[in-house]
Amino acid sequence: MKQLKTKLWILACVLFVIGTPFLALGASYYEGKTLTIVVGYKPGGGYDRYARLLAKYLPKHLPGNPTVVIQNMPGANSIIGANHIYSVAKPDGLTIGTFNNALATAQLTKVEGVKFDLTKFAWLGSLASDAVIMALRSDLPYKTVDDMRKAKEIVIGTTGPGSSTHDFPSILKEFTGLNFKLVPGYSSSADVMLAIERKEVDGRAGSYDSIKPFIDRGLVRPVIRNRISAPGIEKLPVDEELTKDPKGRAIMAVNAAPTKIYRPYVAPPGTPADVVKILRSAFVSVTKDTEFLAEAKKSKMTIDYALPEEALKVVREVLNQPPEMAQEIGKYIKFGE
Amino acid sequence: MLDAFVQGLLVVLQWQTFLVMLLGIVLGFWVGLLPGLGGSTTLALMLPFIYKMTPVEAFAFLLGMHSVVSTTGDITSVLFGVPGEGTTAATILDGHAMAKKGEAGRALGAALMSSLVGALVGAFALALAIPVVRPLVLTFGAPELFMLAVVGIAFISSLSGQGGRALLRGFLAGLLGLLIALVGQDPQAGVQRFTFSQLYLWGGLDLIPVLVGLFAVPEIVDLAVRGTSIAGELPQGNLGKGAWEGVKDTFRHFWLTIRCSLIGTFIGIIPGLGGGVAQWIAYGHAVQAARDSKEREGFGKGDVRGVLGPGAANNSKEGGALIPTIAFGVPGSSAMAILLGAFFLQGLAPGPDMLDKHLTLTFSMVWTMVIANIITVATSFFFLNQLAKLTLVRGAVLIPFILFLAFIGSYTSNNHLGDLIVFLFFGFLGYFMIRCNWPRAPLVLGFVLGKIAENNFYISTIRYGSSWLLRPVVLILVLLTLIVIVYPAIRLGKRRSAPSEKTA
Amino acid sequence: MKSVFNLRFLLALAVAIIAGYALYASLYWPFRTALFPRVIGVPLLALSLVEMLLCLVSAEKAREGHAVDFEMTMDVDPLVARKRTLAIFSWTLGFMALILLFGFTLAVPLFVFLYLKLAGKEGWVLSLSMTALSWLTMEGLFNRLLHLPFPEGWLFSLWT
Repeated sequence: MKQLKTKLWILACVLFVIGTPFLALGASYYEGKTLTIVVGYKPGGGYDRYARLLAKYLPKHLPGNPTVVIQNMPGANSIIGANHIYSVAKPDGLTIGTFNNALATAQLTKVEGVKFDLTKFAWLGSLASDAVIMALRSDLPYKTVDDMRKAKEIVIGTTGPGSSTHDFPSILKEFTGLNFKLVPGYSSSADVMLAIERKEVDGRAGSYDSIKPFIDRGLVRPVIRNRISAPGIEKLPVDEELTKDPKGRAIMAVNAAPTKIYRPYVAPPGTPADVVKILRSAFVSVTKDTEFLAEAKKSKMTIDYALPEEALKVVREVLNQPPEMAQEIGKYIKFGE
Repeated sequence: MLDAFVQGLLVVLQWQTFLVMLLGIVLGFWVGLLPGLGGSTTLALMLPFIYKMTPVEAFAFLLGMHSVVSTTGDITSVLFGVPGEGTTAATILDGHAMAKKGEAGRALGAALMSSLVGALVGAFALALAIPVVRPLVLTFGAPELFMLAVVGIAFISSLSGQGGRALLRGFLAGLLGLLIALVGQDPQAGVQRFTFSQLYLWGGLDLIPVLVGLFAVPEIVDLAVRGTSIAGELPQGNLGKGAWEGVKDTFRHFWLTIRCSLIGTFIGIIPGLGGGVAQWIAYGHAVQAARDSKEREGFGKGDVRGVLGPGAANNSKEGGALIPTIAFGVPGSSAMAILLGAFFLQGLAPGPDMLDKHLTLTFSMVWTMVIANIITVATSFFFLNQLAKLTLVRGAVLIPFILFLAFIGSYTSNNHLGDLIVFLFFGFLGYFMIRCNWPRAPLVLGFVLGKIAENNFYISTIRYGSSWLLRPVVLILVLLTLIVIVYPAIRLGKRRSAPSEKTA
Repeated sequence: MKSVFNLRFLLALAVAIIAGYALYASLYWPFRTALFPRVIGVPLLALSLVEMLLCLVSAEKAREGHAVDFEMTMDVDPLVARKRTLAIFSWTLGFMALILLFGFTLAVPLFVFLYLKLAGKEGWVLSLSMTALSWLTMEGLFNRLLHLPFPEGWLFSLWT
């Protein structure tokens, strides 16, 4: 009997000793500290806006209520920012970052300058997913893909290789036989919209979120989408269904995959597991916060949280492509500014 | 429409809106003044704060801040030779030169007054253009944009100076600027041009570090060499003509100021030309106003017209840039791109609705720009002459600060050490150009117009083959180019023949 | 005068080299990518060679005409001017070195202090108050308010 009591005491002490740091850690790790979110883009862009919204609501969901600030590290389409989070930022849980979802493709195609390995980051999830669509000016007579196939030439404005405005139509052109004429050189996707209004070009590809206001306005009509669906475009033909070429399908799949984790967030590799746990649960709870969601909706930012495991899965899917595939993909998806 | 025009004013004058606008003005005042606090960056930082405001308040705040930035940016340019904003660099050439002659007060007065005139012209253009803005913007496609870039490049000849040798160097500078503009990833094939495997250079060179290096460093060197205060050796430290003189100058050269305001507005309206261009073209135009070669050479050395032109243009272009942003949702400048975010935050969709359902809001924006600028210029006038006294401070005390501002100003471009390296490189280049008598303005012109020219050239040829050359507006612009190139020569010819007639 | 003349030649030479390099690099690029660099590079090379020639052949500054730009002050004795120019360039590069070694936040007040004391030979009160002001601006405005990312100075990363 006495032996059992002693054992129980020892057990209690052990539990106490092990358990308290967890509790204490949870309670005071972020107390009085500042959490920095590194954004791989300049202020004002999509990634930056999401990060600032997050910065506003995240403190409530982190134990110790830290201040959350944004640091912009633009350059090379967020490769500079990603490199920084990977090797320069201290893995103490006080720095996290967000960057271009397409960096998986950049890593796969061995873009020069990539110094990170996406699988080694401590993933925190993704705030949203986004579909990439192709939209044409509403007054054009093409309503279905078959109509489009009959057209002699459809002029698509793009901002240059390395952006979804260019890669999506270029892959479609190559594998589905649609007669697209790509006109690159526009300085931003908004300029392409203006060109559409001017009838200089017939259509544009890009993120559904960014084209949606123009669809609502009636300027353009969506005609094709990638495999990620979104409310309003579920019925559109998917790019992969438009081609019978397995290589084409594979490339489209790889191109589409990252958009599922459109707004990825990570912590540097080597961040202690318990800290990562705190961050992850903070992300889960902030994306359920009603005020956060309300403000996001008002600012026209869709929130569609993907768990870290899902995000990592998507990344691995892209990175596990065999080398020949990587080479083929590299031909069509150039990484750029 | 008249109804909305008046309503717009009343709505801005309501005390909540007015207060919030004043807040924006105070913010904008400092943002413009300090190099490194960019107008666009700060706008982006302010976006989260407008969440709880009504649309009128939100835009009064943002525009109150933004429309003031180009005005106070001129102050830093004039006083210290460091561009307070990317859009106020041209004011350095003559503005700071005037400061060095002891005429800082006058230069400031001229810069501020012309900024006000420019802002008013821009605002009125916005108001008047509302019915015609859509057809106007829709007419300017890629071919026209290319030709506009060509017209801009043609101004190189005006900015070079007199004589064959000066022209040669002007073209060298211009071509060098055009070449530098090509650094980065090419949008046609995705090839990295001149990036030497540096990630930093993928997007090309940023305007601010280039401008700050090119303009601030030679001025700092000159200040160090002279060993005096900015205003130099002056009898009894008298600062010569003050701010009021500068105001009078604005009205003495009223039509020039108006013309440069219109140039700025026009360039602002056409999306795709970017903010850096307007001030240089206005400067080029002001130089053309010189009546003979001697006057021409006076530019860059303290001709007040060199302050009036860019001062007016960099403000009017903001009014112009608002037009495509509101009417089409296409930003006319980088600051406008962020303002667009504000639209969405407020649940508004820029487009025909803004000119229709929300016309009052649109007019309130116009009034905000007008009132904000009036308030800023009026308040600044109270201490312009005091500010001018800074030019009497010993150079050695000012130099560390100017260098500090220059370094940090460049750094905030990309928050990257590469910014500092670019700054230093162009600093050296700017210094050597001055030493070797190479004009810098053509280099800047080439640099800001290079990508616009190339991209639009390819869009035009890929889209239209060669038929774009015969479009009516294109032909008009070709004519304009020729006029721009030939005009200074004609003026000189007239001047020469006039005196000989008198003596005959 | 001779030194200035050499400087003009060197600048033109530097530009010629840049133009030459641009043309060389463009050889490996597809047509559209290479077009503008070539269209700009060829006249640039040609004109810079002309300028180089003119610099060698005629050294008359007076006949050159003035650029629409400011000109370096001529009032100061050239030897003093040269000394001061070298000094200011060294200080500027020194500032850069300080930023690299100590990080921005420390480098700025350090530089302000060193310059005011050593180059400006200003008094302690002025130097220290200016240093304090600059430190406040760096820390208060750029660090605390704007949260600009400043890389750590090399000295500190060696240590930690």
